[in-house]
Amino acid sequence: MKQGYQQRTARKHVGTYKPKIDGRVKANGKAEFLDDLTLGIQYPGLLYSRVLRSPLPHARIRSMNTKKAEESPGVHLVLRYDDPEMLALKPTTNAWTSYNTVSYEKMYWPSYRDRKVLDDMARWVGDEVGAFVVAESEEIAELALSLIEIDWEELDFVLDPKEAMKKEAPVIHPEINPEGNIMLPEDVCGGDVYRERGDIEKGFHEADEIVEVCSDYHFADHGCLDTRGCLMEWKDDELTCLTNLYQADQTRMFISQMLEIPLNKVRVICPYVGGSFGRGNTGDQCYYIYTAIAARRTGRPIKMKYTRYEDFHDTRNGIEWYGKVGAKKDGTITACYFKGIGDSGAYCEHTIAALKFMTGFEIDECMLAHIPNMKMEAYAVYTNKIPSSCKRGIGNNQFNMTLFLAVDLLAEKLSIDPLEMTMKNFGHEWEKLPNESVCGVLREGAKRIGWENRLATNEGPLIDGCRKKGLGFSLHNGWHTAWQEKPRGMVQLGLKLNPDLSVILEATMAETGCGSNSCAVWSCAEHLDFLGIAPDQIKWIEKADTDTGHKDMVQTDSAVSFLHAELMPDMAEKLKKKILAMASTEMEKPVDQLAIKGGMVCSTVDPQIKKSIRDILWNDTLVPIHLVVEKMPPLEITGVPFEATFAEVEVDVETGWVEVTKLVQLSDCGTVMYASGAEAQTIGGQAMGLGEALTEEIVYDPATGIPLNFNWIDYWIPTMLDMPEIEGVPMEVWKGAGEYGACGIGESVTTCTCRAITSAIYNATGALVNSTPFKPEKVLAALDKINSVNDEGEKETEK
Amino acid sequence: MKNSNREIIKIKVNGTWAEYEIGRDVEPSETLSHLLRERLGLTGVKLACDQGACGACTVILNGKAVLSCMMLAVEADECEVMTIEGLEADDSVVKAFAEQCEPGYGTAMQCGYCTPGFVMTAKAMLNENPKPTREEIEYGLSGNICRCGCYPAITKAVQNAAEGTREDK
Repeated sequence: MKQGYQQRTARKHVGTYKPKIDGRVKANGKAEFLDDLTLGIQYPGLLYSRVLRSPLPHARIRSMNTKKAEESPGVHLVLRYDDPEMLALKPTTNAWTSYNTVSYEKMYWPSYRDRKVLDDMARWVGDEVGAFVVAESEEIAELALSLIEIDWEELDFVLDPKEAMKKEAPVIHPEINPEGNIMLPEDVCGGDVYRERGDIEKGFHEADEIVEVCSDYHFADHGCLDTRGCLMEWKDDELTCLTNLYQADQTRMFISQMLEIPLNKVRVICPYVGGSFGRGNTGDQCYYIYTAIAARRTGRPIKMKYTRYEDFHDTRNGIEWYGKVGAKKDGTITACYFKGIGDSGAYCEHTIAALKFMTGFEIDECMLAHIPNMKMEAYAVYTNKIPSSCKRGIGNNQFNMTLFLAVDLLAEKLSIDPLEMTMKNFGHEWEKLPNESVCGVLREGAKRIGWENRLATNEGPLIDGCRKKGLGFSLHNGWHTAWQEKPRGMVQLGLKLNPDLSVILEATMAETGCGSNSCAVWSCAEHLDFLGIAPDQIKWIEKADTDTGHKDMVQTDSAVSFLHAELMPDMAEKLKKKILAMASTEMEKPVDQLAIKGGMVCSTVDPQIKKSIRDILWNDTLVPIHLVVEKMPPLEITGVPFEATFAEVEVDVETGWVEVTKLVQLSDCGTVMYASGAEAQTIGGQAMGLGEALTEEIVYDPATGIPLNFNWIDYWIPTMLDMPEIEGVPMEVWKGAGEYGACGIGESVTTCTCRAITSAIYNATGALVNSTPFKPEKVLAALDKINSVNDEGEKETEK
Repeated sequence: MKNSNREIIKIKVNGTWAEYEIGRDVEPSETLSHLLRERLGLTGVKLACDQGACGACTVILNGKAVLSCMMLAVEADECEVMTIEGLEADDSVVKAFAEQCEPGYGTAMQCGYCTPGFVMTAKAMLNENPKPTREEIEYGLSGNICRCGCYPAITKAVQNAAEGTREDK
């Protein structure tokens, strides 16, 4: 049996190894997802739908004839782009929000409201445009779509972001920027140069070595098994929306404001969600609006569910980062300059955040704060490709590739261990270097991967005549501590204690897989221990429902693992007071002479006088105790913990094939809220990172602008056979404010994987592969580059 | 089966035979997954890719694991189909997946969308090979995708289920 992590503070439930609270319903198939709650046999009169998807990368609808489609048997409605109700809708985005609920006026990126619901303009192959068909079945709707005759005005298109930046490039959003495709500075992140301190020229002058590096990261898809969808049903003027994007309150706000109906006339229900990985941050999808309008027109419930093809949407941002980093002989970094170009695809969504916010605000203050001279510059660019927006670790994964490439190369030039160099330079703004958490994860990782055996670049022996072994690493800051969650506002939590001492926990959230429902139950059991109950006496309400729940805990980031838990001490105090007041009446003793322990209320004066809490509650009225707690997360700035990934690879120098043989992921959680869940995140994050590193890639045909692999036959998601040995290691080094002082880890666990793997490829062979995915052809090309340089060198020597 | 001019198929689903008239109870072009989910309400059958690439819709047909999205309902005529709803309440594989929390592996599911498919694939595999090695488990389950990446814990759960079966015997 493997050794688990050791708790810093021994606790009965929080931080322990346990089965998931929903493990059983998920294993026996009884957990209900959107698709399972929206069968035709459950909804009499249910209609199905399909939206028209553009076959062209850039084109406008001149005219559209929908007569044949409308007359097709089984078709109930063809909603058109030129319908007055559609034309009257406000422009919007798919990305109003990230973790808080915001209104139309206060949405993120208000200067980039670049979407019209059912537009007449197509900006990528797959764009939803023109028509929405509602029919008796999906097949009939699909057939009807093929009967629509469209006169397209084809426009020039551009796929490459650097081409798109040129003056002569076709302008994709003239309504946003008539001059070109570069997104203009806005209020949230500022100008093109969005971060600057010190004097980089002076800093580079002081450096003994300078490296210039570049890396690019591809559009990786979330690949949630549960494709996006919704069901819309009206009863009179009240709309109910079932959805599998995880934000109930924000979806209600979005629909309410787009359709201009009061919040209490919109009810949003989120059941179990089959994976998210950041896709919910583009939760304000246009499909809610046209499906709701069509449901009102037809007077019937309508289901809209993406196919696997359609679910390739709002992916990871393709970003190319250039970096110039200088350091002194002792490894101290004196200056950094970074320049990023972000391929946003056809819409803005969260690309500006991925480029500027994540690096300039989050990474800079949490990891680069001690570097004296810094300049960051970035450009988000529209292209006629799939919109890129937000995937697990948004912006961080891409930047990490360049930053630690620079560290690796500088360390090599200076003959310093890159781990030493990392410890010397990186830490958050509010603590002196070296940072304890940085050192903690790096030393533990080094021990587990066998770092002391790491040889110099390309120095290892050739195994079986063709393979070389290497080790690599990367580091990243955590970024979901309590103080960083301030924009969420108040966290709400409800609890009902039944007279039989069973508990209903109103920790409102959609469970997407990250296990925050389990965390809420463990922390509830921990703090309600005085009732003498076990965790299985606590029932978590599984659906987020805006009509009956509290403000939902949006599963946008992994802080959800502890935010409810931070309210539990207050909840426990409130509950104790209430029980003691009841006991005082029941036992005819003053409250200050009573105490609660192990399910009993005892007199502090005479220990013989006691009564069980159950007997006190099981009185004539049998009214349950219902309490609500509302509180901000602890906001004291306490810095952040760190995470690291170490990789061991074998590279076949003849074929370019990379086999990852071991991954070790170390996550300083502050406090581990749920050990089995944290391990699942660290291990699962490696599976996702491995796919992004080696096999997953969206491929475009440059001649037509058509994506070639929006399916799971040609988009290669790793399976069991692709898995190396993985050690997922939750740790407790740092501690934040509050009862637990934890930090979410779900995003950062994927951040270092690509960089660690390519760092190991370089260590094994000397091949610099800086473009994901690291496919054999790229590895071979990089190997050829070294060989040709060596050949040149030999020729020079011969001369 | 021809019955005058009506065409009827007969499928045993989770222990009970039933007849389906083609054109009325089932369409000739209808997949088995559609019949099971949409008409019979067996929602433990999950659809994720609908193209045979992920294994979420796996059911057991005459003892073998099959992808129900990749076969027509009419092809299951005269066959016995078992979905996850047909397993015993105390099924050892379900239990092993639900309870996996052994340190070092994580849980055997996160979102749980792929889990019924993994359970059914594992059931069929263990029926044929009650004592699989780790390599045999990994090979046997490599047609199923878990995007949450719980692969090591899934392997562990199947190993535990297999060991439990051995103990029972």
